[in-house]
Amino acid sequence: MADMEGKRAVQGKFADLNYYEMLDIRPDAVPFEIRHAYQNAIQMYEPGSLVSYSFFSEHERKEILAHIEKAYLTLVNGKERQGYDAELVRRGVLKGDVCREKADKKPVSIFSISRSSVLQPVCQKKAELKARIAQCPRIGAIAQKTDICGADLQEIREALGVTLEQIADETKIRLDYLRAIEASEASRLPAPVFLKGFVKAYLKHLCVDPGEEISTRYMAALSVQSEGKAS
Amino acid sequence: MELMAYVWPIGGGKGGSGKSFLTSSLGRLSAGLGKKTLLIDLDLGAANLHTLVDLPYPTKCFSDFIRKKIPRLEDTVVETPVENLYLISGAHDNLDIANLPYEQKIKTLKAIARLDYDHILLDLGAGTSFNTLDFFLISHNGIFVTTPEPTSIENVYRLIRSIYFRRIRHCFNVTDFKALEEAADELYGRGAVNRPECMMEVVRLKYPETHAQIQDDFNGFRFKLVLNQLRRHDNAGLGQQICRIIEKHLGLRIEFAGNVAYDDHVHDAICARVSFLERYPYTRTAGDLRELSKSVVQTAGEQMLINYS
Ligand SMILES: Nc1ncnc2c1ncn2[C@@H]1O[C@H](COP(=O)(O)OP(=O)(O)O)[C@@H](O)[C@H]1O
Ligand SMILES: [Mg+2]
Repeated sequence: MADMEGKRAVQGKFADLNYYEMLDIRPDAVPFEIRHAYQNAIQMYEPGSLVSYSFFSEHERKEILAHIEKAYLTLVNGKERQGYDAELVRRGVLKGDVCREKADKKPVSIFSISRSSVLQPVCQKKAELKARIAQCPRIGAIAQKTDICGADLQEIREALGVTLEQIADETKIRLDYLRAIEASEASRLPAPVFLKGFVKAYLKHLCVDPGEEISTRYMAALSVQSEGKAS
Repeated sequence: MELMAYVWPIGGGKGGSGKSFLTSSLGRLSAGLGKKTLLIDLDLGAANLHTLVDLPYPTKCFSDFIRKKIPRLEDTVVETPVENLYLISGAHDNLDIANLPYEQKIKTLKAIARLDYDHILLDLGAGTSFNTLDFFLISHNGIFVTTPEPTSIENVYRLIRSIYFRRIRHCFNVTDFKALEEAADELYGRGAVNRPECMMEVVRLKYPETHAQIQDDFNGFRFKLVLNQLRRHDNAGLGQQICRIIEKHLGLRIEFAGNVAYDDHVHDAICARVSFLERYPYTRTAGDLRELSKSVVQTAGEQMLINYS
């Protein structure tokens, strides 16, 4: 990785930063990263931004935005960037062996991008589920009930827009067991030791917390119910 | 002077951002871990921590110490209904912290440093009076609280700048500081004296050694920022970005400690005068608070009381 000489981005003088520092990127950043950083910077510094509200005077803000624009236009243009890098090397800010060419050749950056796109859906899904749970007071209310029955779990699952098939797919729990869990049909369910693990896995897949406790309450309610049927 | 306990001053520019709610929640979580925890309500004039820990009529309070009715600060501590949780209440105080005389402030700071607790949380209230700033600077662990509203963000930025400024001010006598202000005025134009980043630049030019010392000092600080009352449409990355701006433009490192979601149940719990964490443990907000306590009260580091001579 290219090294930046010790200069810290402090003491207010934005204009003294180099373009990489302005955009918060490394000198070997690829165009994709530059565009992303540019969008972030605009979001932080644009006049209506909440992030920097009241932090700058109108004049300072204009200046900063003009610098960011210049930095972006220079760095996304391959030729201009080369010239700019050469200047940084001359000024001793960037070490001579500008590593960007190396970085371009290395498969590393492509690899890391493709890897993140594989990971993203899972993370995103979890984040989305969590967000939905947070936004749906009904789920919180169910999760706090002392008696949790299968229908409660089903209601949570449906509120989250997740199908039983999806759960079966990820947890590898048989679909008929999952159906029996939601129907509270003890007779069609496996022994409690296994069942509790299934319920926990089910809740984990839905990102409903705390899985341990809710599954315990489900188990308790189920055993009360089946005792009632037996007598 | 070394502090006996871990001290977390909690400040935020604006009233209503949730400082007291966070103080009481973090206090409850810390006490729940078996740590002997003390809350000190220094939001004199607007004190309400006692209510948040279900102690409507505290028998003693902070002003008893200031008015010398109770000679030792530790004797103004009252027990709360929560195990391991103690309080120095600010109830019945018609005293304003901004008006606390200098000697009293020093006396209080020193007394806090000697208190024998595992964890101490200071609820500082709003505003940027010198006294509030000095209490915030009592340890390296100050926590800033803001909500995602421009008014609150404006105030927290002002508070952060004031704290920075105050720390610089501590390093100079009146005459030298005046000279610095004049130099800043000249170099950066009017308004520069209110901008610690400009003052620091002048300090760097005139007193490079002091500059390095202040820089060092700030590097030792472990300030944190909490974004409270985040609603679902708010930008979840806001806190991180605020810290980024402060680092980039003030040269101050503030660690983002986390978001705490907005939840109407907070209101319900406060009205019912019960612990929100106990009554609504499965809300996102409760989860956020537990996460926060992990990154705040459960982290330990070196901490020293800043020396007031
Ligand atoms: N995370 C939250 N979600 C919903 N309401 C909150 C939250 N935090 C605080 N509040 C509300 O804001 C009010 C003000 O909080 P408080 O802690 O008294 O603020 P401060 O001490 O900063 O003035 C509380 O009464 C409470 O109703
Ligand atoms: Mg308060």
